[in-house]
Amino acid sequence: MINKIKKFLGVDVQMEKFSLVDDHMFGKVAKEKAPTKWVRSTCGYCGVGCGLYIGVKNNKAVYTKGDPAHPVNMGTLCPKGLSEHEIIDSSNRYDGPMIKKEGKLVEVSWDEAFKKTSDSFKNIQKKYGKQALACISTGQLLSEEFYTLGKFMQMGLKTTNYDGNTTLCMASAVMGYKQTFGSDGPPGAYEDFSYADVIMLIGANIADNHPILKLHIQKNEQITGKKPIIIVIDPRYSKTASMADIFVPLNPRADLALMNTLAYIIIENNWIDEKFIKGKTSNYENFKSHILNNYSPEKTSEIIGIKKEDLYQIAKTYSSAKAAMSAWTMGVNHSSIGTDTVSAICNLALITGNLGRKGATALSITGQCNAMGTREVGFTSSIPGYRNFASKEDREEYAKIANVPYQDVPTKRGYSYPQIIDAINAGEIKALYIVATNPLVSYPDQIKLREAFDKLELLVVQDAFKSETTQVADIVFAAATWGEKEGTYTNSERRCNYAQKAVDPRANTKSDFHIILEFSKYFEGVNERLFPNWSEPLDAFNEWKKISAGRLCDYTGMSYSLISTLGGIQWPCNKEFPQGKTRLYDDKIDFPTKNKKAKLLELDWLPFKDKLSTRFPLILNTGRTVEQWHTRTKTKEINILNDLCPEAWIEINPFDAKKLKVKSGERLSISSLRGTVKNIIVKESQTIKSGHIFIPFHYSSQLINAVTIAEFDTKSFEPNYKQCAVQLHSVSVPSGIKYNKKELSLQLLNTVKQNQYTKKEYT
Amino acid sequence: MSNNFITPLDSFINYKTNTHNQCGNYSIDIKKPKEDEQYRFHFDATACIGCHCCEVACNEQNNNDAAIKWRRVGETQSGTFPAISSHFNSMSCNHCIDPECLKGCPTNSYIKFDNGIVFHDDESCIGCQYCTWNCPYEVPVFDESRGIVTKCHMCHEKLDIGQTPACVQACPSGAIQIELVNTKEWLEKDMYTQGIAPHLCDVDITKPTTRYTLNEDLNKSIQTPADDHILKANHAEWPLVFMTVLTQMSLGAFSILFLLEILNYFSLISVNITTLMYIVAFLPAALGLPLSALHLGRPILALTAMKNIKTSWLSREALALGLFTGALSASIVLSYLQSPYLLINNIFVLALGIFGIYAQAMIYRIKARPSWNKKETTHTFFTVGYIGTLFVGLCFLINETYFIASLVFSFSLILSIYQQLLFKKKELFYKNLKEEDKNFYQLNKTKKLYEGMFTKHSKIRAISLNISISLTLLVLILLVNEYFLIAGVLACLSTISAFTSEIIERSLFYKTAVAHGLAGHFFAGNQR
Repeated sequence: MINKIKKFLGVDVQMEKFSLVDDHMFGKVAKEKAPTKWVRSTCGYCGVGCGLYIGVKNNKAVYTKGDPAHPVNMGTLCPKGLSEHEIIDSSNRYDGPMIKKEGKLVEVSWDEAFKKTSDSFKNIQKKYGKQALACISTGQLLSEEFYTLGKFMQMGLKTTNYDGNTTLCMASAVMGYKQTFGSDGPPGAYEDFSYADVIMLIGANIADNHPILKLHIQKNEQITGKKPIIIVIDPRYSKTASMADIFVPLNPRADLALMNTLAYIIIENNWIDEKFIKGKTSNYENFKSHILNNYSPEKTSEIIGIKKEDLYQIAKTYSSAKAAMSAWTMGVNHSSIGTDTVSAICNLALITGNLGRKGATALSITGQCNAMGTREVGFTSSIPGYRNFASKEDREEYAKIANVPYQDVPTKRGYSYPQIIDAINAGEIKALYIVATNPLVSYPDQIKLREAFDKLELLVVQDAFKSETTQVADIVFAAATWGEKEGTYTNSERRCNYAQKAVDPRANTKSDFHIILEFSKYFEGVNERLFPNWSEPLDAFNEWKKISAGRLCDYTGMSYSLISTLGGIQWPCNKEFPQGKTRLYDDKIDFPTKNKKAKLLELDWLPFKDKLSTRFPLILNTGRTVEQWHTRTKTKEINILNDLCPEAWIEINPFDAKKLKVKSGERLSISSLRGTVKNIIVKESQTIKSGHIFIPFHYSSQLINAVTIAEFDTKSFEPNYKQCAVQLHSVSVPSGIKYNKKELSLQLLNTVKQNQYTKKEYT
Repeated sequence: MSNNFITPLDSFINYKTNTHNQCGNYSIDIKKPKEDEQYRFHFDATACIGCHCCEVACNEQNNNDAAIKWRRVGETQSGTFPAISSHFNSMSCNHCIDPECLKGCPTNSYIKFDNGIVFHDDESCIGCQYCTWNCPYEVPVFDESRGIVTKCHMCHEKLDIGQTPACVQACPSGAIQIELVNTKEWLEKDMYTQGIAPHLCDVDITKPTTRYTLNEDLNKSIQTPADDHILKANHAEWPLVFMTVLTQMSLGAFSILFLLEILNYFSLISVNITTLMYIVAFLPAALGLPLSALHLGRPILALTAMKNIKTSWLSREALALGLFTGALSASIVLSYLQSPYLLINNIFVLALGIFGIYAQAMIYRIKARPSWNKKETTHTFFTVGYIGTLFVGLCFLINETYFIASLVFSFSLILSIYQQLLFKKKELFYKNLKEEDKNFYQLNKTKKLYEGMFTKHSKIRAISLNISISLTLLVLILLVNEYFLIAGVLACLSTISAFTSEIIERSLFYKTAVAHGLAGHFFAGNQR
């Protein structure tokens, strides 16, 4: 009231709110939220892994500031990171565990939630067998939590049907690295962006998804004395394409054909690195004849959609660089031939000797903050420490170090994520335990998924946020989130970062680590057997360190304090590399194959299953935007982000928009053989080719995964999110787009767009 | 240092990251400006990737709510796939050498610091928002919760002590930097080559200091802003709609009284101007002026709007119309006392009124808003006075001085027909709007608003004005034929119709204004 009167009298009652005070760490900060302490931590959004400080005032996170001493981000943060402190007090969270009673989720005690869940798990496993319980985890947890969860599922609850949402994002990179190099593990580092002469970004929209990587590209000129040549390979002119010197608008999914064709041109012209091929690779002769027989530009130019002469130029640019780097993300991984495409990219790096040197690498950029952590410590597609389920030796070794009975260690991988969904539909799996992922937005085959959920006897969801999936759960384990717990995240360049707890977990929530630890006590003997005297994440970290000893992903030299001091450590970190190792596969680290050589693989391009037809003549490409995170559980309540991108949009070429008689700002429906999504706003743009459309996947209000195809990579089980055949429907043209023959033929070949600068240098 | 305070360095303020840019660093190495020098932003559009870090960092630093953006990122696009280029422009304040915000501010709340920063003094601001109109980059933003305008100050408090502005620190591409600029050299040549960016207005308006690094061909190609499709009606500014129309009515009414008085003085006619008539002239202004305070964020401080007579048309308007109304009240008293000084006082009143309405028109004659910046605006502001003359006509009718009434109504008729001409002229202007027009983008949106969102309003405006004109004509015919009562009734109707018509027209005047500014964002528009 007094304030109202004051305001009426013309006094700026909020002057205080907008004044600044001095902070000893970061200089001037807003007075209203001046922190009383700064807690050093790591960002919990994407796989870049930025170091940051969380400003805390009255046990509330009020600031996130980039850590200038951290080698990844050097003081910067992306818009999500800058506003990350807001997620903790989001209204989109639970305060404690919930149980569905009479159709409504009501808050209960942890004891009640654990008791009810454990009883149900036991009953179901007794009735239908151990494998009737499945778990789908995530790339969001800390490594300590993954390790604990994996151990608990595999050896506590004794079901091998355990996988993560990482199958929806990184699995192809894992399998591609495995089949080429003999092990998972990205060989390069971010600093390679600063040293490379040529940077080839394949299906990687880093401007939207990993903006901080631009910092390393930005540094390149100061370090090398000239600007690097940036090649962006993407069917869409993404924000990232705007930084390209050479933009290669290839046909969707043609990247494998492109890589093989570039290999053809490089071999044909003898632009190869013979010494490297001889010394470091195997199978070259077979590879060579496979490429020369099948991938001449004459044969592939139309598949790729790029003119022959342009292909030669790209090949020359890449192969003549002193150091060339290729980096990719979901454009490559989200494909039913993703694994082989990853290997094809690696092939190209191998035959040109672009590996294990500064600026020369083939780097998969990960999506989630700790996707890498699950790859190393997870118990999903392998035994922790990149061990093989099938290997007796590996099983024995693990059992010995972890002090668990040998017979408890699974001998093979259980069902992958899509197989779990199929098995639920087939009636094999009756109870599902979901941890920190939201399939009701992110899974590609929404109809099948929803059918599966209906068949479940029990759905338990452990999450820090309210999601579409928690809302249909029978039981919700309310977890603490980033900033409320401690542990480590490992980023795309194998850098293990320490994330410190800044504030106490909200209300009656617990960290995922403590949830698993407590929950395990409800299963007789499990806690004592698997987690003897464990109380803090450090206990899991210490065991994991022992497990990793001698492996490629060796963590033995790490400690929380050393990680903090160095600003993260890139594994392997052991006696030989006490401060970690920037690159793999140089003269110090051999390929972890039998002959210590990388294998050049004979790989084939395949068209996508979903055939374009007059009924569905358009190719849908899905992706992300910088303002939102995944299924928006974290970002939709952050106004400054959400205001910029409150809903999904259809990016469409004006030529196609004209056919549909729609304009920017109007609305369209989209349909495929699988389903329909209505009411999506139109964004006419020349960033996309006629015949293609782009829609971001984040939104449950425009659930684009009701349209995408459930086609999976046979090696990695990764879904083919990036291409499927669709039709658009407007009010004026409800039947959708029709192309005549002439228009279709015009769509065949694209011209590579080049900067003046590149033309001067390279022609 | 407490236990949970693990840091490799004690303080980041003096620590330099190895980015080789200003980005990432919390401290900045930049000299203090010498004479003829000032701080400025450099924006490297070739480096920007449109990630919006700067926007968020700015709000985090200055504790602004999401709706208040001092820094915004705009997007434009040109070419056809795949030979396209997209262009981002991250802009806060351009810390202009000749800032329109400063010149127009009625309370002298803008200060151009010696170091060149255009600083807004929050304390003295009354929230008139005139600067938000004047700035052709739409930089100042009204914060409703505070009732004042705020804007980017280049984090001056930080810069003063060697700390990096938030946006500069946050950019992962090093696309935003602080530099020193020699203003003389800048104005002489560099501004015209390095100060320009697609979609922005003529640099000569405010002489912005921001230096752009762009791809060479960018300024030559046609750029489509990402928010091209967003058509948002401007604020209706109801208090101002009434204030302007009412004060203009007062001047109209008073002018006709004065004219009659002069004619009477030279014995060309014989007329008895009653005190009531002065009251009729006085009332609209007396009602309208205080009304205008309602549009202020801090109405109680309305009187301080007269501080900047030197450069602000708003101050001039406030002062002149305030004095006009005051002097007009004196006229009422003098008329009642039948004082001989009435005529002399009235000369003052008229001069003040004319200058007041001229100043009022000049408020809108700003380059930042092309649909306002026309001579027709000034004309209309004077001719709207016909409603006032209709009132005066009615007074004479009531006093049964029919001849004078006819005279006055004839005068009204001429003015209202001119008003009709201005209206037609405007319609034609938008109908024939050419892409070659320098302000095509803004004017075309105004056109779309007139012809799309507000077709109905425009129609009612046209019809009601026609009705008023026809009725006035009829009144004249009836008066000649001595049907006084019906003439009276119709004159009333004509006045009501005219008033309605002008209120609608004036509200459209505000609602259809499209400002020069930054190209926007697909969803968020220009965030203004």
